[in-house]
Amino acid sequence: MTQTVAAVSEIASRGYAQPDVLVSTQWVEDNRNNPNVRLLESNEDVLLYETGHIPGAVKIDWVTDLNDPLLRDYVSRDRFERLLRSKGINQDTTIVLYGDKNNWWATYAFWVFKLFRVENLRVLDGGRLRWAEEGRPLVTNLPSYPEGNIRVRERDDSRIRAFRSQVELHVQRNGKLVDVRSPEEYRGERLHMPEYPNEGALRGGHIPGAKSIPWGRAITAETHTFKPASELRTLYESENGLQKSDDVVAYCRIGERSSHTWFVLTYLLGFKNVKNYDGSWTEWGNLVRASIEKP
Amino acid sequence: MDRETRLAWLLDHYRRPRYRGVLPDADARVPGGNPGCGDIITMSLKDGEVRWEGIGCTLSQAAASILAERVNTEKMTFEEILAMPPEAMIELLGRDIAESRPGCALLALGTLKGAVKTVEMNRKLKAAGHTDEQIAELRRA
Repeated sequence: MTQTVAAVSEIASRGYAQPDVLVSTQWVEDNRNNPNVRLLESNEDVLLYETGHIPGAVKIDWVTDLNDPLLRDYVSRDRFERLLRSKGINQDTTIVLYGDKNNWWATYAFWVFKLFRVENLRVLDGGRLRWAEEGRPLVTNLPSYPEGNIRVRERDDSRIRAFRSQVELHVQRNGKLVDVRSPEEYRGERLHMPEYPNEGALRGGHIPGAKSIPWGRAITAETHTFKPASELRTLYESENGLQKSDDVVAYCRIGERSSHTWFVLTYLLGFKNVKNYDGSWTEWGNLVRASIEKP
Repeated sequence: MDRETRLAWLLDHYRRPRYRGVLPDADARVPGGNPGCGDIITMSLKDGEVRWEGIGCTLSQAAASILAERVNTEKMTFEEILAMPPEAMIELLGRDIAESRPGCALLALGTLKGAVKTVEMNRKLKAAGHTDEQIAELRRA
C-alpha cells in the first residue's frame, strides 16, 4: 500500500539525454522479483541496510566493497568481479542502484561500476527515501542468490576519472571545474565547523576557477527525485556557463558528492566529457603549494 | 557476540538511545562532528555523569549511547576515559562493522575525551586564579 506523497512526473517526460538510466519506484515494485534484475543498496550509513531494505536488495558498502583497503584507490578487477558475482550478478543482469542521501552513494557506486565499464546499470529515481515515503515495504531478511557469472573488464580510469596532474593541467587551461561542496566549504569558511575537528584538509577554499554548484541542487527536495532537464539546464548551463561540449571536472571532498553531479551532467544532460576528481579537496587542500582561491 | 546479535544490539541502542540529554549546569558541554557526513555529537559532563545529544548515522548515534551507558554504569574515571584506546571502541562495537567507518564509530569517544580535557583544563585555570567568566572568555577567543 503506497502513501500519499508529492507526485513526480514520468521519467520519460523530463527531457533527459538518457532517460533509461533511471527507473521509478513503481518499476522496482513491478520488477523486484525478476531474476534478471538485481537491486543494490549503497548508503553512507553503514547500518541503514540492516534496519530495513527493499525486498530482494543486497548491500554494497562503498568503503569495504569498492575501495582498496591499503591504497587510496578502487579495488582490482578480480576483486570487483568476485564482489558482483557474490551478489548473484550475471552478464545480462540489470543492476539497479539506490541508497540514502538522495542517491549520493548510489551514484558514487554507479561511477565506480562505470570505471569497470559495467553495462545495464540503472538508478532508482528518488532513492531509498522516496521508496520509504511512499510506504513501500522495507524488510530485514537477507536475500541469497546463486553465484553470478558476470565478467568484468579491466578498470579504465582514462574516461571518467581525473587525477591531480590532469586537474592541474585543466586549471592552467582555464577548463571548467565544478565544486559541488557546500558554499561554506567552497568559500573556505568550513574546513570544519567551529569547535569541530578538522576533517583531513589543511587549507580551505576551492580550486582556482571552480564554480560553486552544490550537488543537492539537482534534486527536487520534496520528492528526492532528479529535477527535470529544463531545470538542470538552467542551473548548469544558463546560470553557471557550462556547455555540453565542455571538458568538465567535478570534485568535492573525496569524490562521492561529485559523482552525483558527474551522473547528472553525463546521463541526464548529455555532456560528453565529464570527469570526477576523486582526490578532491582531501588531496588538493593538503597539497604543498597547490593554488587555492578563497573569496 | 555473533554479528547478528551485535547488529541487533547496535540498532537497539540507535532506536532506544540511553543517557541521551543535557546535564543542567554541566562542567563541560563539548560538540564534535564529521561535517562531511553530518554526524554530530555533543557531550555533557557533570560530576562523573555523562549525557549526550546528537544527530547522524546509525553507527555514530549507537556508539554514543553505548559509550555513555558504559561510562555511567561502570563509573569510569577521567583517567579511564582518556586511557580508553580507539581500538577498544572499535572492538566494543564490532570490528567487522566499525572498522570501515572509524569517523562514525569514534566520534563519541573523541568528543567525550575532549569534554574531559575541557573540564580538566578549566580546573587548572581556576587553580591558577581565573574566574568562570575569564575562562569562558578564553574559550571564546
